[in-house]
Amino acid sequence: MSFEEVSHTADVKIRACAPTLDALFSDACDALMQVMYGNSREGGIQTEIEIDAADIESLILDFLSEVLFVSDVEGIVFSKAKVQIAGLHLHALLDGEPFDKRKHSVGTEVKGISYSGLSIGHDANGYMLDIIFDV
Amino acid sequence: MVILHVLPGIKQINTYEWEVPVGTVANMRVPGKFFLSESLGKLLEPGAVQQLANVATMPGIIKNALAMPDIHWGYGFPIGGVAAFDLTEGVISPGGVGFDINCGVRLLTTPLSKKDVSGRRDLIDQLYQAVPTGVGSKSTLRVDARALDGMMVKGARWAVDNGYGIPRDLVRCEEGGSMKEADTCAVSPKAKQRGVPQGGTLGSGNHFLEMQIVSEIFDDPAAKAFGLANNQICCMIHCGSRGLGHQVCTDHLKVLEGATKRYQIKLPDRQLACAPISSPEGRAYFGAMAASANYAWANRQMITHTVRQVLARMYRIEYEDMPLVYDVAHNVAKFEEHMVDGRRRKVCVHRKGATRAFGPDAPDIPVELASIGQPVIIPGSMGTSSFVLRGTAIAMERTFGSTCHGAGRVMSRTQAKKSLSGREVVANLAKKGIIVRGPSDAAISDEAPEVYKPSDEVVRVVHEVGLSHRVARLEPLGVIKG
Repeated sequence: MSFEEVSHTADVKIRACAPTLDALFSDACDALMQVMYGNSREGGIQTEIEIDAADIESLILDFLSEVLFVSDVEGIVFSKAKVQIAGLHLHALLDGEPFDKRKHSVGTEVKGISYSGLSIGHDANGYMLDIIFDV
Repeated sequence: MVILHVLPGIKQINTYEWEVPVGTVANMRVPGKFFLSESLGKLLEPGAVQQLANVATMPGIIKNALAMPDIHWGYGFPIGGVAAFDLTEGVISPGGVGFDINCGVRLLTTPLSKKDVSGRRDLIDQLYQAVPTGVGSKSTLRVDARALDGMMVKGARWAVDNGYGIPRDLVRCEEGGSMKEADTCAVSPKAKQRGVPQGGTLGSGNHFLEMQIVSEIFDDPAAKAFGLANNQICCMIHCGSRGLGHQVCTDHLKVLEGATKRYQIKLPDRQLACAPISSPEGRAYFGAMAASANYAWANRQMITHTVRQVLARMYRIEYEDMPLVYDVAHNVAKFEEHMVDGRRRKVCVHRKGATRAFGPDAPDIPVELASIGQPVIIPGSMGTSSFVLRGTAIAMERTFGSTCHGAGRVMSRTQAKKSLSGREVVANLAKKGIIVRGPSDAAISDEAPEVYKPSDEVVRVVHEVGLSHRVARLEPLGVIKG
């Protein structure tokens, strides 16, 4: 896990860094799940997600929005995401467990993923992400 | 002056009024304007002013990009932002409404007195059991696909028609609790899927249900007309359109991103993605947004019904003796008529964290309140006052009939977690006689009174400027956090 919650007055701002783009997206998914459901999350149920987008910012926004949707309607709390990105195509294998009110009620609902303040950059050390979740 | 340091070039017009001149960011079409006191100015973030200036670049914006005294840094529009757009030249944007479409607040009165409610943990427990609350909460009411359609098309009217209220409730809702422009075909199957299990749920974050007591009356005739009296016990409900509205925003943001390019609209922030109001993309978003707004009104009406049932059962009082004072939306876009340059014009008003505050004799005010103005409900935080105000003619002239929506955060969640424990917050509030229940310690510390600006000061500024006038103050006695 290599992300942190950065101080933001109204919403949740996440800063992540990872050696590869695949790992960066996987960390962002982990951050989203942690904000919503806390740290105690197990595997057991697998789900796949496929996304195509016009640019890299849309790819991460659409990916996390889809994770949010699946988690909400299926009632699954994800513990891990194995992400593979080729160009602007994403395939993710998500592993999670059913939502349990007693265990997962420590977070806050994320309403949406915002383009405001969204940036993905990279340098010799790898990739960096800033992203804001509306809560 | 503190505010001058926020961004160079900002001009103070008078005690409470500040201008962000054209040129502060590139391609501004009109100046930005915000209302703040000196003490609130110390809390203003540069990002919020930048976002206000960004709004001023949008095509067809009329007069000013406006922000209320609870302005703070959001996404797209700043929170507290208001902007009206010309119907021909102008645009519509989900960034001016937010993910939680028709997040709003309502207040109902009861015939109870302080001794009935004060210290009654059993009451708060019963309400907490009855109203589904928190992340992942699902409805205990029967909402199926057909009911969902009813909620989206008819809003609070659907709820009343199905036994979740009384006809008088509708008169006391902004828009009668139902926007007629709702288009359910523009709401995706994904959004509908999220909407079905969440009808009648409170949600999480800053959403709450509070038992309150009227602690001060500022304006006797208005309070009387609104049905408020000193020491009266009331219930305030703050929630929105749940996953359905969130999904509508996400879906249409994607469509409008494409439209922004297609219509060659240049924007400084992708979250402001928009389309001409009359374009197919703009109309589709408006129709879906109106359907979500209706869902939110039905949702608040269903929660109201649950609260009335609990109170009626516990205290043996009549359901009808708990009338609604009013219900306001604070994240919405609407077609409204306003005076612009001496001429009455229909415009599209976006309110993002701002409340409609129509003055006396404006349209869509209950007949019996026509001479007073529209009731405006301003929620405080768990430990601080909430307020009822009334709309004014000044708001009609200056802010397209708009005022503030709440206190606005001052401390981030990361700071709150570091400096406050949920247990301490609960203990401190208990000393003040306020009972709190929430799904977790974190949910409570996230929303502690300390994380918000003082609601008193925000309300004082709108009162002094005349954007709305104080009618009554309410203090919390029991709080259910989402």
